[in-house]
Amino acid sequence: MKQGVAKVKERYNWPVTILLIIGIVLIILLPLYMALMIAIKDPSDMNNVLALPRKLRLQNFVDAWVMTDFPRKFFNTAFITVINLFFTLITNSFAAYAITRNRKKSKFFSIMYYYFISAMFIPFQVIMLPLVVQANAFHLDNIYGITFLYVIFGLPMNTFLYTGAIKAVPEALDEAAMIDGANPIQIFSRVIFPVLKPTTATVAILSFMWTWNDFSMPLVLLSDESQQTLQLAQYVFKSQFSVDYNLAFASYLLVLAPVLIVYIFCQKWIMNGVVAGAVK
Amino acid sequence: MNKKVISTLVIGTLIAGTLAGCGGSSDAGSSAKSSSGKTELELFSTKPENKDTIQKLVDKYNESHDDVTVKVTAPPDAGTVLKTRMAKNDMPDIVAMGGDNNYTEVEGAGMLLDLGDQDYIKDVQEAYIDMIYDVNKDKEETIYGVPFATNASGVIYNTEKFEELGLEVPKTWDEFIDTLQKIQDAGEQPLLMTYKDAWTANAPWNSIAADLAPESFADDRKAGKTTFVGTHEEITEKYLTLLDYAQDDFMGLSYDDGNKKFANGDAVMIINGNWAISQYRNANPDVKINMFAFPSSNDESQNKVTSGVDVLLGVSKSSSNVDAAKDFVSFMMEKENVQTYIDEQFSFSALKGVEQSDEAVSGVQEDISNGKVANFEDHYYPSGFNMSVLLTELSLNRANGMDDKENIEQFLKQCDEKYDVANVD
Amino acid sequence: MKKAANRKRPAVNKVYYIYVGILAVLFFIFHTIPFLKGVFYSFTDWRGYGDWNFVGLRNYLHMFVDADTGNAYIFTFKFAVITTILVNVVSLVLACALNAKIKFKNTIKAFYFLPYMLGSLIVGFIFNYIFANLVPELGKALGIKALSVNILGTNNAMWGIIAVSLWIGCAFNTLIYIAGLQSIDTDVYEAANLDGATGFKRFSKITFPLLAPSFTINMVLSAKGYLMVYDQIMAMTDGGPGTATTSIAVLIYKKGFGGGQFAYQSANAVVLFIVVVLISVFQLRILEKREEKLG
Repeated sequence: MKQGVAKVKERYNWPVTILLIIGIVLIILLPLYMALMIAIKDPSDMNNVLALPRKLRLQNFVDAWVMTDFPRKFFNTAFITVINLFFTLITNSFAAYAITRNRKKSKFFSIMYYYFISAMFIPFQVIMLPLVVQANAFHLDNIYGITFLYVIFGLPMNTFLYTGAIKAVPEALDEAAMIDGANPIQIFSRVIFPVLKPTTATVAILSFMWTWNDFSMPLVLLSDESQQTLQLAQYVFKSQFSVDYNLAFASYLLVLAPVLIVYIFCQKWIMNGVVAGAVK
Repeated sequence: MNKKVISTLVIGTLIAGTLAGCGGSSDAGSSAKSSSGKTELELFSTKPENKDTIQKLVDKYNESHDDVTVKVTAPPDAGTVLKTRMAKNDMPDIVAMGGDNNYTEVEGAGMLLDLGDQDYIKDVQEAYIDMIYDVNKDKEETIYGVPFATNASGVIYNTEKFEELGLEVPKTWDEFIDTLQKIQDAGEQPLLMTYKDAWTANAPWNSIAADLAPESFADDRKAGKTTFVGTHEEITEKYLTLLDYAQDDFMGLSYDDGNKKFANGDAVMIINGNWAISQYRNANPDVKINMFAFPSSNDESQNKVTSGVDVLLGVSKSSSNVDAAKDFVSFMMEKENVQTYIDEQFSFSALKGVEQSDEAVSGVQEDISNGKVANFEDHYYPSGFNMSVLLTELSLNRANGMDDKENIEQFLKQCDEKYDVANVD
Repeated sequence: MKKAANRKRPAVNKVYYIYVGILAVLFFIFHTIPFLKGVFYSFTDWRGYGDWNFVGLRNYLHMFVDADTGNAYIFTFKFAVITTILVNVVSLVLACALNAKIKFKNTIKAFYFLPYMLGSLIVGFIFNYIFANLVPELGKALGIKALSVNILGTNNAMWGIIAVSLWIGCAFNTLIYIAGLQSIDTDVYEAANLDGATGFKRFSKITFPLLAPSFTINMVLSAKGYLMVYDQIMAMTDGGPGTATTSIAVLIYKKGFGGGQFAYQSANAVVLFIVVVLISVFQLRILEKREEKLG
């Protein structure tokens, strides 16, 4: 919607604005503020968790950093997330395109469509144990393997997300390109993919969030401690953190920090992407 | 050119898989000989809380052995992870786990080696060897797991508060209730319950049932010759009576928070085990505590310390170097090393002559040395039978104001039903 | 509409076949085969390792008499229905508010999307603390008995989990509704204004019907997600107190892995899969029909 910078100020709906801001403060920010306060306090300073600390204590972050071996876990998680993101975007989008465009022409693609979509409804817990056996047979029980599995496992959801958007792109575009002598991959990469940017943004965010926050797959597939991810580390140290909430919350914030930083910088792009991409 | 683009896309998809293949070879096989010719052994530990101590002992071993390196794996949700490792035939060389139904599963699947011929076995207390037999599948009398450390569960109390209120350690059920009442009358919180973490609901049950259930209940129930109904009424009544002396929010307090509160003097007693002591000390280094056997009965001789095998060591049949693995277990069983472990973990030794001297458990040390112990009742239940869920339901009903008689009746009936469901092999 | 054009077009380029074929094979190997293995084992007594025997339909029949499974289904349906409705109502209201002429629009929107970025494990841990410590204090101060204890330890534990699911889940749904709202042509509103339709009437008669596609996406994805709810519960109540918050996915995980019931829980999982598919197809049918009627 046009923001209407030129419009007169009185046109703003102030009651709604104020209600929304109150909502942000009470519902969204309060829990995070609390987490921050706990993370920068000393255990003896916990009588009123919402009050500012009597004395700022950043040692919690240092301790959590060392204890969870943060740099290594961060690198592992970042590796999985970034590599997965890259391959997911280039491979899944083209797959969705191939399937959507040819569904009406060939039964094969129609079957593929339903094949992938129906897999969306399989709870992970069902395939967990057999998957471990399968992944082990192919030597996929490491961060490279898990990244590969994420790319493959993303297909159902991403096909679902791309389908609507691809349907909305007029086939005349493809036809024009085809008449110019372009092959399918050229058509897709030069003509269609650029038009799909908003959906690509949605897919990118969902993939990013999924791999960054997942802990079920790393739990069963990454047996080597040096390959563990950040989320898994929170789970590992749950028992050690137990008596020390300050340390625990410092560690939680360390895990949230990279996501928050990415979000602050890409916020506009993410929001516009999801908004434009979500509905065809 | 056409083909080039296609291949880029296809290879793009495959490349991660190829990478994965390369990466896999480096860490596949837990006990492969590494390039330097050293034997690598993997020790799988299921207790996250003893990781540092185990690591310390392993480091000591590695320093004194040039040809063998032991690596510790202590993942979260260790039971699940161990099961996935079994499923993919990738058993670790050595396991360090509790003497519970997780062990029964591993042992029952025929994964472990008989260690009965090892020298140190003669120094292990018989009571704990018997417990291993008890949790073996079909009660086979073979030592697939060597008892390493043992634990004790009972009533942990704040000694300073006891002195303040002029209380003595209760020896019988009536004395216990009397003590609880006195504390309540004095305006203090007698008991702290942490049932938000369901497993802690087992602690009182394990002690009361171990003391009061009919002698052969475990076997008879398994064979279908007896039922919970008709044998466990008194146990359940006593269990519920305790809740009268617990804090209001006994269903909502977590184990961690409860430990902290107890350490800071919010309550006089808590029913749990020696494993919680390090948490109390962490939360409040000055806390003065001790422990006594849960007095389930008015017959003092029946009130045993609830004690089980906290850590046992087992060697996998499929280990590539069985001798090295056995050697490591022998090392762990050396008196000096067992002492290091129990001192750091406030636990007890399964070895004769190695004793825990920490004052926080001095109240039960004598009974343990004399073998006046009974195993945790739930170690005898089938693994699919989750007593803690039933106990928290029972307690929740109580909190919701359900009539005791109806509640107990329903609970025991449920116990039998669920037991039968889980008792299929 | 393009039947004629179709017939003229050359056959499908084989690049598509090769590419989709390869991906399908990979997907089959790493996702479908494990799934089929799960289905296969649901007819056996396999424990996850070791020997096994065929037991026919025993596992499936057992589901009908097993109270745990029945309770898990009841809880899961209750949770999914309530959460799906609440998430969509709240999101719709939020979306309308955010779509109004408000100041700092982009910043406000960015804040409301924030919870989505945080991941349910850590959010669960944070709210665990809030429910255990902050809410009871507030409850005591206000003299509300129900709130003065940890809600996660009472019969109302489900509402605690619903609250957290709302906190995390509304963001994405809201954005989708906003997108839908923005795609509505302003001319429609002008026409409505001329007809004298304003306020709620305008919303129910014009806005809401035009949001049909967004509504479909949100309903299907929410229902599917909440029927398979797992993360929040594991982070907050572990299925308790008792079995009060044990969802089907949690039951499958806990009993299948910890309880030595792998084969039986595989059967349970197969049924869950069928249930979710049926519900989703049913929803799509109804909602798409509605879209068509309106479109």
